[in-house]
Amino acid sequence: MDDSRIETNPPAHEAGAGNQSSEASAAQEGAVAQDTRPPSTPKGAAFPWESERRPLGTFFRDHFREARESLAFVAGAAGTTLLVWLLMGIALGLPAGLYVLQANLAGVAEGWRGSTGISVYFEPGAEAGVTLALAERLRAQPGVADVRLITADEALTEFRDYGDLAGTVELLGGNPLPATLRVSFDAPLAAQTAEALSAGLRQEEAVEDVVVERTWLERVASLSALVQRLGWVVALVLGVGAVLVTSSSVRVALESRLDELRVLKLVGGTDPFMRRAFLYLGCLYGLGGAVFAAMIVSLTLFTVEQPLVRLLATYGGDLELRGFDATFLVVLLGVGALLGVIGSMVACRQRLRNLDILA
Amino acid sequence: MGSIAFEHVSRRFDNGAEGLHDVSVSFAEGSMAFITGHSGAGKSTFLKLLLAIDVPTRGRILVGGVDVVRLPRRRLPLYRQHLGAVFQDHRLLARRSVFENVALPLRVVGMRERDIARRVRAALSSVELLDKVNLPPRYLSVGEQQRVGIARAVVNRPRVLLADEPTGNLDPELSQSIMGLFRQFHQIGTTVLIATHDRALIDAFGGRVVELDHGALIRDNGAAGDSGHG
Repeated sequence: MDDSRIETNPPAHEAGAGNQSSEASAAQEGAVAQDTRPPSTPKGAAFPWESERRPLGTFFRDHFREARESLAFVAGAAGTTLLVWLLMGIALGLPAGLYVLQANLAGVAEGWRGSTGISVYFEPGAEAGVTLALAERLRAQPGVADVRLITADEALTEFRDYGDLAGTVELLGGNPLPATLRVSFDAPLAAQTAEALSAGLRQEEAVEDVVVERTWLERVASLSALVQRLGWVVALVLGVGAVLVTSSSVRVALESRLDELRVLKLVGGTDPFMRRAFLYLGCLYGLGGAVFAAMIVSLTLFTVEQPLVRLLATYGGDLELRGFDATFLVVLLGVGALLGVIGSMVACRQRLRNLDILA
Repeated sequence: MGSIAFEHVSRRFDNGAEGLHDVSVSFAEGSMAFITGHSGAGKSTFLKLLLAIDVPTRGRILVGGVDVVRLPRRRLPLYRQHLGAVFQDHRLLARRSVFENVALPLRVVGMRERDIARRVRAALSSVELLDKVNLPPRYLSVGEQQRVGIARAVVNRPRVLLADEPTGNLDPELSQSIMGLFRQFHQIGTTVLIATHDRALIDAFGGRVVELDHGALIRDNGAAGDSGHG
């Protein structure tokens, strides 16, 4: 075009077309809109260029081709793809990991619920008759499932079983441990009931302390709720991050195919048609990111399982760390794909609208 | 649907320059005409407005009786699907084969694969490039690339074919060949508008000439010179 240098102002419907600055473009668009462009075809003139109905086969053919080309693009830019997957994996992995942690905490709380009970600690040297009498009275109470008396000697023997601490007892000389009653109930106790019972037991002869095991349950439940809420916040923030990562990556792919997009637009390609390949690209980025996230979560679980089990064992918890199941993986993949597609849509919407056909 | 009418069309740019100034001209369906003028006369603006890549600041542009200036954005692709456009720089996709380049307009409209193959081969046959169907454009000469561009422009059987300096990079012999192709499409009822500043080419082919100067229409040999098809 011999005179294209001065004829690059964008039309209202091709916002951003032309070589001039975006500010100038916007000003020009405003001027054009003022003069010429009502939002519809004029009255009395039927639109003669309606599209024909597409055969279903071509719909699937086009989707298959776009998916294949997107795969080829992903494979052809392996370095970039791995980086995007890693970023997406981190963004998805953190909330996914928190979900797994929360599920495990909930499992711990559930497991302890069945053994909710009370521990009654006697004063050192409390007479056996006193401890036995209280045990008998408690057994007679309705709702009490079991009362187990651990004498001071039994406690000492149990303590010696903790290999690391065995030597400590020898240093002390005598037996400093008290006799204990472990009371369990048929059904979980309400907090008020447990507190009332605890207060009553503290008044008993030779009783030094009463510990309601429910305290731990409540702590775990609170921690679980906290982790759950934290998970939602992290998921929201990193979800936005994942969308931005995909959007930026797809934008790079868009820029590398601008020539093709310009030609497509020139020959009548609709925005959805041009967008399709990039939606597949975003989907692939999201799916790959989800796989990376699953790997990160698995690796983390594998790494922390032993220390965590040992930690919970010291609190009397019997934990079998739960990983994730197929449903979790499917949901993770679905979320990843969805975030990827959303990121692509963000990139495409902005870039395709501002595409200068004749740049 | 191939008739074209510009009614008092003006296009003023931000810098105050007028790409077109109060241009009124019409072309009957199936006609062929040259849009000419010196560099900066407004030829490209004329074609851009027709392609709905640009919009005028004033006036109406009717194609097939529809004011394309007022078309909503969602209908612009459908409108463009019924136009063919040829450019001096071909605008071919380097990473795709000749076949895929020519097939693009057909894929856009969702044509069946077997129909695409038939149409593409017919279009390439008309520009005598059937033997290059699987090659990428970089293996073709400039003239061959221009012919691929023409094949892509006509493969969808457009009612209007627009060409902007289609022979700009070609030697006289190739230019004659390309112009012969445009005449063929004109003869089957396509409205053909060719923007060129090549006076020798225009003189050699004759026909209707619309001349612009600084955006204004200064000459139109009109109906007398309008090349009706056939």
